[in-house]
Amino acid sequence: MTLSQRRPDFVLLAVTLFLLVLGVVMVHSASSALSLKTFGDAYYFAKRQVLWACLGLVLMYLASRYDYHRLRRFAPGFLVVSFALLVLVLIPGVGRNVNGSQAWIGIGSFGVQPSEFMKLALILFLAHYLADSGDRMRSFTRGFLPPLLLALTAVGLIMLEPDLGQSVVIMGVAVVLLFTAGANLQHLLLLFGAGVAGFAAMVAMAPYRMARITAFLNPWADPLGKGYQIIQSLYALGSGGLLGLGLGQSRQKYLYLPEPQTDFVYSIIGEELGFLGAAAVLVLLAVIVWRGLRTALYAPDEFGSLLAAGITGMIGIQALINIGVVTGSIPATGVTLPFISYGGSSLTLMLTSVGVLLNISRQAVFPAR
Amino acid sequence: MRVTRGMMRRRLVALLGILLLAISALVGRLAYIQVLLSPWLSDQAQALWSRSIPLQGTRGTIYDATGQKLVYTASAPSVIATPAQIKDKPGTAAKLAAVLGMPADQILQLLNKRVSMVYIQPAGRRITDQQAAQIRALNLPGVYLTEEGKRVYPYGTLAAQVLGITGADNQGITGLEKQYDDVLSGEPGAITFYAKANGEQMPGLGQSYIPPVDGLDLQLTIDVHIQQFVEREIEQAVAEYNPDHVTAIVADPKTGAILAMANYPTFDPANWKQYPSSTYNQNLAIWQTFEPGSTFKIVTLSAALQEGKVTLSDKFYDPGYYEVAGHRIRCWKAGGHGSQTFLNVVENSCNPGFIALGERLGKQALFDYIRKFGFGQKTGIDLPGEGTGILFPLSKVGPLELATTAFGQGVSVTPIQQVMAVSAVANGGLLMKPYVVQAYINHDTEQVVHEVQPTVVRRVISPQTAATVRQALESVVARGSGTGAYQAGYRVAGKTGTAQVAENGRYSGSHYIVSFIGMAPADNPRLVAYVAIDYPRPRNGAPVFGGVIAAPIVGRILADSLQYLGVPPQSGGLPKKQKWNDIPQVQVPNFVGMTIGDAQRAAIQSTAQLQTQVVGTGKYVVWQAPAAGTQVPSGSTIRLYLGDSPVPQPQAGGSGGGTGGQGGGASSSGGGAGNSSAGSTGG
Repeated sequence: MTLSQRRPDFVLLAVTLFLLVLGVVMVHSASSALSLKTFGDAYYFAKRQVLWACLGLVLMYLASRYDYHRLRRFAPGFLVVSFALLVLVLIPGVGRNVNGSQAWIGIGSFGVQPSEFMKLALILFLAHYLADSGDRMRSFTRGFLPPLLLALTAVGLIMLEPDLGQSVVIMGVAVVLLFTAGANLQHLLLLFGAGVAGFAAMVAMAPYRMARITAFLNPWADPLGKGYQIIQSLYALGSGGLLGLGLGQSRQKYLYLPEPQTDFVYSIIGEELGFLGAAAVLVLLAVIVWRGLRTALYAPDEFGSLLAAGITGMIGIQALINIGVVTGSIPATGVTLPFISYGGSSLTLMLTSVGVLLNISRQAVFPAR
Repeated sequence: MRVTRGMMRRRLVALLGILLLAISALVGRLAYIQVLLSPWLSDQAQALWSRSIPLQGTRGTIYDATGQKLVYTASAPSVIATPAQIKDKPGTAAKLAAVLGMPADQILQLLNKRVSMVYIQPAGRRITDQQAAQIRALNLPGVYLTEEGKRVYPYGTLAAQVLGITGADNQGITGLEKQYDDVLSGEPGAITFYAKANGEQMPGLGQSYIPPVDGLDLQLTIDVHIQQFVEREIEQAVAEYNPDHVTAIVADPKTGAILAMANYPTFDPANWKQYPSSTYNQNLAIWQTFEPGSTFKIVTLSAALQEGKVTLSDKFYDPGYYEVAGHRIRCWKAGGHGSQTFLNVVENSCNPGFIALGERLGKQALFDYIRKFGFGQKTGIDLPGEGTGILFPLSKVGPLELATTAFGQGVSVTPIQQVMAVSAVANGGLLMKPYVVQAYINHDTEQVVHEVQPTVVRRVISPQTAATVRQALESVVARGSGTGAYQAGYRVAGKTGTAQVAENGRYSGSHYIVSFIGMAPADNPRLVAYVAIDYPRPRNGAPVFGGVIAAPIVGRILADSLQYLGVPPQSGGLPKKQKWNDIPQVQVPNFVGMTIGDAQRAAIQSTAQLQTQVVGTGKYVVWQAPAAGTQVPSGSTIRLYLGDSPVPQPQAGGSGGGTGGQGGGASSSGGGAGNSSAGSTGG
C-alpha cells in the first residue's frame, strides 16, 4: 500500500532554513572584524550573504515547484555548458585567480565558480545516465568506466585550476552515484586501490607531499606555515569549550583565523557557541543527510533516487570534508560548509539542490504506516 | 546479480549508515577538541591574544640617618617581546640586534621561546633613551618598551657593602638590598589587554591594569658624615700601610644603631660585576672572624670586676711570664712589668695579669661572660651574611686554653661582636642588638610606616662595673698602650689589639691584624668606634702594633664624629701622662741600633730629659717613635721598639720567634691555641 504525498519534506525544509539563518548570523559575526578593516563596513559580507540567500531561496522555491523529471532533458546540455565554463575559466583573462586558484569567472564584482555548477551538472547527468543503465552497471567497461571517465575528466579540469576541495567532492559524488546505481563492489574496490596506488606513486616521486598531507597530524611542526590555519582553528574550537564564548565573542576572528567567514566559519561557530552549538550543527547536517537519503529511498523512480542520493551525497561529503579540515581530522582541502559558509555560488547552488530534493520528496511514495 | 530497486535501497541505507557514522566520528573528534583539549588550547590561545606588559613598582630609596639619598631608583627603558605576535622573527631579531648591539641569533633564540613575553636581555635591559627612540621608530609588531628601575648611587662607593647590590630583575643580591628585598621591592603590576593579530586592541574586552605598588623607603642609622669620616680614615690607612683588608664600625652604644660601617676593599655598586665576588659578597665588618687579641681583655676585665675577683687597685707582680700547666707564657714585655696595680695591668695590656684574672674566674665563669657579651653567636644585625665566630667548647678548655682566651687568643670573633660587647660596657652593662635600618618610609607619602626600636639583648654587667671598666680603658688611652687615640677635650677610652694570624697552622711572623676599639666620652659614651687593619705593611719596616696604627685612626674618627654631633669638649678627663704643652721643644736623638741599656742611659742623660717606653722584646732598639730629628717637648716619651738584632727587620719588629705584638704576644709555648686561631675561618 502506498500513499502519494503532495507536500514537500518540511523537516528538510525547516532544517535547511535554520542552517541558512544561522549561516547568515555566523558569517556576520565571523567577518565583521575583517570586513570592517578591509571594506570599512562591518556588514559587508553579511549584506551580500543575505542577498545570496534570498536569491537562493527563490531558486529553491522554483526548483521545488519544477517537476524534477523535466530536468532530465537539460542534463546533457547543462553538462556541456559546465565543461565549457571549466575550460573557459582556465583561459587567462577570462578566469580570475583568487588565492592561487584559477576558479572564478567574473563580470565586475560578480563572480561565479564553474566547479560549483559542474557538481550539480554531473549529479544531474549521472543520475540521468545511470537511471537507465540497469544491468549494464555490472559491466566494468560498459557500465562502470564511462561515468567514471566523465567524472575524472571534470576532476582533471578542476585540478588544473587547481581546486583540490571541489575535485574531492566531485569524485566523492561520482562514487556515491555509482554505488547507489548498483556498481560492482569489486569495481569500486579496484577504484579505491587505484587511488591508493596513485597516491603512493605521487608520494614516491616527491616525499614532501607526504609531509604536506600529514601536516594536519601535527600542525605544531610548522606553526606559522602549513600548520597556521589549523592551529588557529583549533585555538578557536578549544577556547570555545563546552558552552562557547557567546555569540559575537570570538577572538580568533580578529585577524588570527584567515577568512573566517568561508571555509573556517565552523571554527567560529565552535568558539562562540561551544561544543554544544557545533555539535548541534553536525546533528542538523545529519538530519539533512537522513531526510535526503530517505527521499532517495522512497523516490518514485530510479532517476529520482539517484538524483536525491547525489545531492544528499554532495551536501554530506562537503560537510564532512569542511568540518574534518576545521577539526584537524583530515588534510587541508578547501570546501565550503553547506548553507553556512559565505559564498554566492556555493549557497545558491546548495539551496537550488535542496529545492530539487524537496520536489522529489513531494513525489516520493512512502510506505504506509 | 541484477540491479534492482531493492538493491538500490539496500545501498542507500548503507550510504546513510556510512555518512551518519562519519558524522558521529566528527562529533567525537569535536568533543575531544572542545572538551578534553579545551583547557590547553584555551591557554595557548589566551597567550596568543593577551599582551601583558609588566610594570615594575619603584624600588624603595635608601636614606641615611640625616635624609640623604644613598641609593634610589631611576627609570630606564627595557625591551620586551611577545613571540607569538612576531611573524618575521629573523628580521625582527636582526633589526633589534642592530640597535642593541647584541648578536642577532641570541635575540632570535629569545624570540623563538614559546612564552608569552620575554625580555631581550641582557642588552635590551635598561637601554639608553636614544636606543629606545630607535626601537620605537622601528615599530616592530610584538616588540614593546617598558620601564625598569635602575639603581643610582649618589655617593658612589660609600657604604657599598652595607647597601649591597641588585641584579638584572631588580632583586636584592647582597646587603640591605637583600635583607630588605621584600620591603624595598613592592609589588609588580601589569597592563594586560587582548589584541588582534595586527596588534590592535580587541574591542569590547577592555584591559586590566594591575597597578604596581612601590616599595618602601628605608631610613638607615648610618650617618653619611660619620661614614665619610670613617672611609676617609680607611683610605689614609690604606695609603700608608697597604693592608689586605680594613674594617671599621661606629655605633651608638645606647641603642645599638650602627652609624658607620665600612670596609676596604670597597666597590662601586653600580658596576659591581667588574669587581671580584669576594668584594661585593662579603661585608667583612660582620662576616670576617679572627682572633681579637687584646681588645678581648675588656671581657676578661669586666667579668673579673663583676664577679669581685679583683679591684683595679689590687697589686700584681709580673715577672715577665706566667706559668700555666708547665708552660711559661711570656709577657710581651721582656722582663715583665714588675710590681703593678691591676689598673697598670690594663694600661700595659700585661698578659700575665690577665691570665691571673682568667684563673681567678675559672673557665665556667669566663666563658659564661664571653657568651653573655655575645660572642659565639650572631648579633642579629639586620644584614645578611653575619659570621658566628668560634669559641673553645667548654669541655675542651684546659688551663692553657683558659689562659690564652683570657688575653684574646684562641677565640675567633667578628668585628660587630666586639663592637657590641664593648658597647655594652659603654652602655652601663646592657648588651644591645645592632641595627642598620631605623625606619620604613612610604615612598609616595613620605610618611614613616614603621619605626625600629632599639632592642636590649641582656644585661651583662652592672652599671658600676661598666663605669669601672671605662675608667680603666680611659686610663689605657691617657697613660697606657692606647695613647695614640688620645684626643684633647674628648675623654677617649679604649683598648688596643694586635693579633697574629695563623697561616698553615702556624702563627705568621709578619701577618698581623691590628685593631683598636674606643669609646667617648668615657663618662657617658656617645660613640663606640672600632677599626681593624688586616696585614698592615708599614714603610721603613716599622713594627706593627694596634696602639701605633689603629689607635690614632679611632681617635680621629671619634673626635670628628663627636664634633659633628655637637658634643662639646669637656675638661676633667684623665690628663695624658705627659703634659708637654708649655715645655720647650727638643730634638729627638737616634736610638736605633743601640742596645736597650745604652738607649735608656742616653735618653736620661740627654739634656732633653726624654722618657723611654719600651715596646716588644729583644736586646736592640730596631725602631723608635717619634723618629730621630723630630721636635718634641722635653720630657716626652720616646717609644723604643726592640728586636734581637741591631738591624731593623723588614716587616714587623719584635723577636723572630713569633713573639711580639703589643697585646697578643704569647710565647711559642702558647702555640697550643694556634690551631683554632681564626684569620681565615669563615662565618
